Amino acid sequence: MTAIAIAEDNRALVERTHRGLAQVWIDFESALVQVPVIARLTAGKLRREDYLSLLRNLRQQVVEGSRWISRAASNLGPEHEELRSLFVRHAVAEHRDYRMLEKNYVAAGGVLEDILGAQKNIGSEALSAFMYQAASKPDPLGMLGAMFVIEGLGERLALPWSQAIKAQLDLDNEAVSFLAYHGANDGDHLDMFDHALALAVRDIATADDVVRHARIVARLYRLQLEELDHV
Amino acid sequence: MQPVYVTATAQCLPGAPVGNDRMADYIGRLSPEAERLGRLTLRQNRIRSRHYAIRPDGGSDWTVAKLAGTAVRGLLDQVDAARVGFLASATTQNDLLVPGLASGVHAESGLPPIELASLQSVCASSMMAFKTAALQVAAGEHAAAIAVGAEFSSRYFRPGHYHGTATMRADGTLPGDAEFLRWTLSDGAAALLIEDKPAERGLSLRIDWISLRSFADRFAPCMTGGAIRGEDGSLTPWSLREGAPVAAAAGAFQLRQDVEALHRMLPVWMGEFMRLVDEGRIDPNAVDWFLCHFSAHSLREEMVKLATRAGCMIPEERWFTNIYEKGNVGAAAIFLMIDDLMRSGRLEPGQRILLAVPESGQCIMAYAGLTVVGEKQ
Repeated sequence: MTAIAIAEDNRALVERTHRGLAQVWIDFESALVQVPVIARLTAGKLRREDYLSLLRNLRQQVVEGSRWISRAASNLGPEHEELRSLFVRHAVAEHRDYRMLEKNYVAAGGVLEDILGAQKNIGSEALSAFMYQAASKPDPLGMLGAMFVIEGLGERLALPWSQAIKAQLDLDNEAVSFLAYHGANDGDHLDMFDHALALAVRDIATADDVVRHARIVARLYRLQLEELDHV
Repeated sequence: MQPVYVTATAQCLPGAPVGNDRMADYIGRLSPEAERLGRLTLRQNRIRSRHYAIRPDGGSDWTVAKLAGTAVRGLLDQVDAARVGFLASATTQNDLLVPGLASGVHAESGLPPIELASLQSVCASSMMAFKTAALQVAAGEHAAAIAVGAEFSSRYFRPGHYHGTATMRADGTLPGDAEFLRWTLSDGAAALLIEDKPAERGLSLRIDWISLRSFADRFAPCMTGGAIRGEDGSLTPWSLREGAPVAAAAGAFQLRQDVEALHRMLPVWMGEFMRLVDEGRIDPNAVDWFLCHFSAHSLREEMVKLATRAGCMIPEERWFTNIYEKGNVGAAAIFLMIDDLMRSGRLEPGQRILLAVPESGQCIMAYAGLTVVGEKQ
C-alpha cells in the first residue's frame, strides 16, 4: 500500500486530528502572551537579561530534543517503518541545534560557562520527563502531538520573536540565529509533519492521543517559560 | 424548547449608494495623504459602494434609532404589531450615552408597549440580539420577537472630530488604526422577525443553534472608542480625565482599530469553527450558504491552508456576501445579508445556512446554524 492510498483512506481522521491540534495551538499561543517574558517582548520592553535567561533556559531543553525523538524512533515497531525513518531523519537534522543557542548567548553578551552549566528549570524538568516517558512506550505515535507544538513554535513564533528581540535589544543576526533559523526552516518540517500524521493516524484512539500529547506538551512548554531560572 | 423561525426580514439603507470616488464628500477631507491611505484600505476591503446617513454638509435627517426604527417598521408591514412582545437592539455606538438604544428604537418603531433589551458591543452585538430574541420565543415567553441591528458611524468620521485633537498629525494624517475605519464602516439597519411557527406562505429559516464566545480572557481591547491610550498601551476611560473637553483633545472619542491584532484573532475565530465541527454542530460539507461577516479573500493564505487541512474550508462558491455593494455595516451586517439572501430567490427548502460574525473589539466569535423551511413561492 502506498502512502498516498493510506492518506486517502484515513482523511477524515487526519482532518479530525488537525482540528484538535489547531485548537490546542490557539489556546497555547494566546496563553503565551500572558507569560511574563513573552508579555515584555510583545510590549516592546524586553531587557537583555530577559533574552539571556530565555536562551539559557531553552538550551537545557533543546539539548534533549534529538535524544527523545531518537528514543521514540527506537520504539516504533515494524508496522511503522516509514514513520521511524522520518523520526530518525528529524533527530539528525536537529541534534546540534543547541550549539546555535550557545553561540547566540555569547554574541548577546553572555558567558559561555553560564549557559553550559545551567540546570533545567522546573518546567523543563517536567517537559523533559514527560517526553522521555512518552517516547519510551511501544509505538509512541502520540509523540507527533509533542512535535507539533515544538515545531509550531519554530514555524509560527520564532521569526517574529527573533525580529522583535533584534530590534528591541539592538542585536546582530549572530545573536538571534537560533530563532531566526527555525522561523525560516520549520515550514519544511511542518510539511513533513503532515506526511507523518497521514502515516500514523489510522484510528480514533491514535487521533485523540496525538491531540492529548500536544495539549500536555503545550502546557509544560508554557511552564518552562514561566519558570525561567527557577531550578 | 419551542422551535423558532425567522419569518420576515427588512432593511433600511439611507440615501443612494455612494461610490468610492464620492466617499470623501460625505466623511470629509482631512488631507491628500489621508485619502491615499483611504484608497489603499479600499483596495484591500474591495468595497465599491455603501450608504451614508450623513449629508455632505455634515447634517443629517437620521439617528441610529431612526435607522433601526425604519427597519422595524419594514417588519411591521408583514406582521401584526400586537403579536410582537420583545425587541432586542444591537449597535456599536448609540445616539445617546443614556438611555439604551432599544428605547429609542421602540419610540421610532410604532410598536405598542413591549419587553426590550439593548445589546451594545461591535459587530457581534447583532448575534447577541439574535440569540436573546430567539431564546425569548423558544422559552415561550413571547410568540414573536424582533432583533434589529443598526449603525450610524459616518458621523464620527467627519473632520471636526479629529481637528485639534492629539490624534491628528501636523501633516493632516491620522495613525493607521484611526484612518482604517473611516474607509471601512458605513451606515444602515436591518431587522429580523422571529416567531414560534414558520410563516404561513413562503420560506422561513428555522434557527437550529446560535453560539457566541468571548476571548477577552486573552486579548486586550483591539477596536476601541472612548479611551485615551497611554504610551505603555494602557487605556484610560474618557470619563476619568478632568473633563470631556480634555478627553476629546486627547482623542478619546475616536474609533480605533489595531489591524495587527485583528490578524492575531483570525486563528482564534477559526478555532471556534473547528470546535463546533468537533461538537457536531457544523458539518462543513452540508453547508449550502455561508454568510460570513468577512470575505474569503481577506483570509490569508495560511488560514485557507489551515482550514483545508482540518476539513473546515467551505468552498468560495457557497459564500454569500453583499459587503462589496452595501459596505461594512457593523452590527447590521449579518441581518442585511440574511435579508438579501431571503430576497435573492436562490434559497430552496432544506438548505442549510451558516452565519459567522467575528468581532475584533476584544475578540468575540459567533456562529449560527439555520435551515430553510416552507415552500418556495
